[in-house]
Amino acid sequence: MMAITHVTTVVRSRRMETDRIVALELEDPDRWQLPPFTAGAHVDVVLPGGYVRQYSLCSDPVNDRCYRIGVLEVQDGRGGSAAVHRLAVGDNVPVSLPRNHFPLATSAGRHILIAGGIGVTPFLSMVPVLRRMGSRFILHVCTRSETATPFRSALTPLLADHLACLHHDDGDPSRGLDVRRLLAAPKLGDHVYCCGPTPLMDAVAQAASHWPDGTVHFERFGAPPMEVGGSEAAYTVELARSQREVTVKPGQTMAAALIAAGVAIDVSCEAGTCGTCRTRYLAGVPLHRDLVLRPAERAEFLMPCVSGCAGAHLVLDL
Amino acid sequence: MNTADVTDRAPFAGQQTQLWCGEVVSLHRSPRAFLPMGTFAELSLVAGYGIEGDRYATASGFYSHKPEEGRQVTFFEVETLEALARDHGVTLRADEHRRNVTTRGVPLNHLVGKRFRLGGAVVEATRLSVPCKHIEEITGQTVFNLLLNRSGLNARILQGAVVRVGDPILPL
Repeated sequence: MMAITHVTTVVRSRRMETDRIVALELEDPDRWQLPPFTAGAHVDVVLPGGYVRQYSLCSDPVNDRCYRIGVLEVQDGRGGSAAVHRLAVGDNVPVSLPRNHFPLATSAGRHILIAGGIGVTPFLSMVPVLRRMGSRFILHVCTRSETATPFRSALTPLLADHLACLHHDDGDPSRGLDVRRLLAAPKLGDHVYCCGPTPLMDAVAQAASHWPDGTVHFERFGAPPMEVGGSEAAYTVELARSQREVTVKPGQTMAAALIAAGVAIDVSCEAGTCGTCRTRYLAGVPLHRDLVLRPAERAEFLMPCVSGCAGAHLVLDL
Repeated sequence: MNTADVTDRAPFAGQQTQLWCGEVVSLHRSPRAFLPMGTFAELSLVAGYGIEGDRYATASGFYSHKPEEGRQVTFFEVETLEALARDHGVTLRADEHRRNVTTRGVPLNHLVGKRFRLGGAVVEATRLSVPCKHIEEITGQTVFNLLLNRSGLNARILQGAVVRVGDPILPL
């Protein structure tokens, strides 16, 4: 059998938030607790057709039975959003463990949240947390129009409490939120967060260029995640017996590169302690990093789960 | 003190001498890989199979692609959790170590190849558990190195029973 690499979820509910934005609630098949997440986190979603896409979780992190995602259908996109829109209630959806590259700054005195369109999703997981903590915050939601604004039922109470502002530009950014004015004079303890289309993020980056280091936060998708313990520079691994060559990319472990290339190596702890993936090498200088090989063994063996390469080339007895 | 007294008190005097006596502190299972472990008042251990509703009984675990008869039930010492807190300031809850049975007073590292009883069940320890980076991914805590050589015990179930929190664990 194949290794289980994802959290199994099923679509429990599906709702169109606008004519182009769908919200899906994903749950465990038995409604077991899902792995926990923190406000601002996202998951990789594995879609029919082999697409893998990152989507922010927009449910309250205290709800441990549900991951909600909101997805804009991109016309002429790469196919991922269309695949999400074709999902129906009851469909199986494998997802990764939640990861957070967009966490709330716990030391902030005030949080300024700027969302462009579907970029509101990570903020919907932050708002309930900020409200419970009694933190000062304001959520600016920039959309084309009222009808193009998703998650209005979540925004309505915030608008009533003056914790959110809607900005509709009818397609003309000059009529939308004036981020230059909004961010002109940061106060001590202010943090600003932005998620949305690139022009909005660029405008916020420019308008906040004078803000203190570490107080301006963006959620950008598309950059490949770095793997823990991976190499800093690329190198090639030659497989002497099978006469193949595999490139280990920056940020990738040798074991991950071999497995991705279809090389059948057995890996268990992925931390250089269990000895499962011990592999003989024939040439090159490995950076060992494991905790189990004796010095004499290191002249002959390495552990691909943690070992690196001191040069550009290693030859393995595989 | 005469010779007879010494013999009577000698700790290794006979087969019946009980060197340790432990108990079940908490019980855990999860139906699928990656999901948080649930905590239960009782678990049903089934001989030759595993734990009803646990991921390794239904081939739904992170390591189920590497079948292993000796992984029907797994154990972890509560003393290790206490040591992590005491010596390293790391709080790892009993439902986070991802083993099924949290024990107190049981020298797990000494029991490979031995049989012992928990409640009405009898198990045979097959190997020490080893830590895995998976636990850091799931808990978000840097605990891997701290768990080396104290990551628990794997066992096969020889006699099944419903095991409950508070049940005694005794050597056989």
